[in-house]
Amino acid sequence: MNGAEGNPAAEAKPVEDVQGDMRWMSQHIRFVQECKDAEPDVLFVGDSMVQLMRQYEIWTEFFSPLHALNFGIAGDTTCNVLWRLQNGELDNIRPKVVVLWVGTNNHEHTAEQVAGGILAIGQVLISRLPKAKLVVLGVLPRGERPNPLRAKNAAINGFLRLWLPQLGQSKAQLLDVSKEFVHSDGTINPRDMFDFLHLTASGYRIIAKPLSDLLLQILEETPEERRASLV
Amino acid sequence: MSEEQNENTAAVPVPCQDTQGDGRWMSLHNRFVSDSKDKEPEVLFVGDSLVQLMHHFGIWRKLFSPLHSLNFGIGGDATQHVLWRLSNGELDNICPKVVVLWVGTNNHCHTAEQICEGIMAIIQVIKKKLPKAHTLVLGLLPRGKDPNPLRVKNDKVNKLVRLAVTSVPHASLLDIDPGFVHSNGTISHQDMYDYLHLTSQGYEAVCRILHDHLRSLLDKSSEN
Ligand SMILES: [Ca+2]
Repeated sequence: MNGAEGNPAAEAKPVEDVQGDMRWMSQHIRFVQECKDAEPDVLFVGDSMVQLMRQYEIWTEFFSPLHALNFGIAGDTTCNVLWRLQNGELDNIRPKVVVLWVGTNNHEHTAEQVAGGILAIGQVLISRLPKAKLVVLGVLPRGERPNPLRAKNAAINGFLRLWLPQLGQSKAQLLDVSKEFVHSDGTINPRDMFDFLHLTASGYRIIAKPLSDLLLQILEETPEERRASLV
Repeated sequence: MSEEQNENTAAVPVPCQDTQGDGRWMSLHNRFVSDSKDKEPEVLFVGDSLVQLMHHFGIWRKLFSPLHSLNFGIGGDATQHVLWRLSNGELDNICPKVVVLWVGTNNHCHTAEQICEGIMAIIQVIKKKLPKAHTLVLGLLPRGKDPNPLRVKNDKVNKLVRLAVTSVPHASLLDIDPGFVHSNGTISHQDMYDYLHLTSQGYEAVCRILHDHLRSLLDKSSEN
């Protein structure tokens, strides 16, 4: 049940320009262009959770120093990220790690389908970048109080934990900090998520430290590149 | 398409439908209502994501927190949603001197004329709830990397609102576009990271214009 076949969340699709200002495609084209000029060690790809991270100080504090590119587009589903990666956003770059954060916008898909979509993105990444490692960020809980989308997102993370090993021995890992955001009374604090979905600067701090620790550890474990850089 | 036959939905208050299923919009509205109970803001910001995100950049703390400002921005809101929120509790416990209103770029189903009417309807609600407050409408910004119909529409909204508020003593329009469109017609992602939402650099440019204007409005209102 976790293959790409017949899974609507694993079908590559561009975002339709319903608003009429072509912003999605303009961003995609810009990312493809950025690939030609940059040599990132880390590539972030996903939805608004990735995109907004770049607008806060934590990006320059934790991730710019790791030579990171940010290909986040608000509203993206697994289908949209899949399309972007298959249409130029991986051309001309060889990052050592890819950080993938997507899934919370897949409103038309079940938890199992969303996790399958994320797995399909992982397969594309690993076939295009055979030496790269993958860090999948668990989808976060959302909404001020318990609600069906929290249950669904938790289920997505559950499937990911089970399925990511299919991508290969120590190829992909899940970083799931979702427990940090729900208080004992079941609420999420707007100080962490300003609209009960998107993170504030202090909300990003909850994930920035463990993520940057993990990235540093992975980057240090790529000895051949490291030796090459010492020559 | 006469107004008698077709009601303008941009000017009819309606809550945002919870299509996603996590109730976030209503949670935010309820939080704004309860937040306002123990605050005494001089300035209230209300509108869509452009208002909401402003709160999370350094510029807010630097320029607007010192003016005692509250931020009631919700991403995705159109005029009819702001109209509903202001008619349903968000103005009931406060008496700011200035309301900064920035909304309209998300009214995708509406014409420029309809959006203008929606904004004018919001101004009326503010007048009714806060008879002494001045409403400062911020002009809609251009959007999209390249020229496109939404830029033309937003520009038209600004022209219509500017004309409409000339006869309204308690409202005015402020054009806060510092010149985001370059001579070749493009908007830079350095100013708008997704060609709609502002980067911290984009907010700096907009907020300096806004802050100067707000200061003079507040000075005037304290003279009265
Ligand atoms: Ca006037």
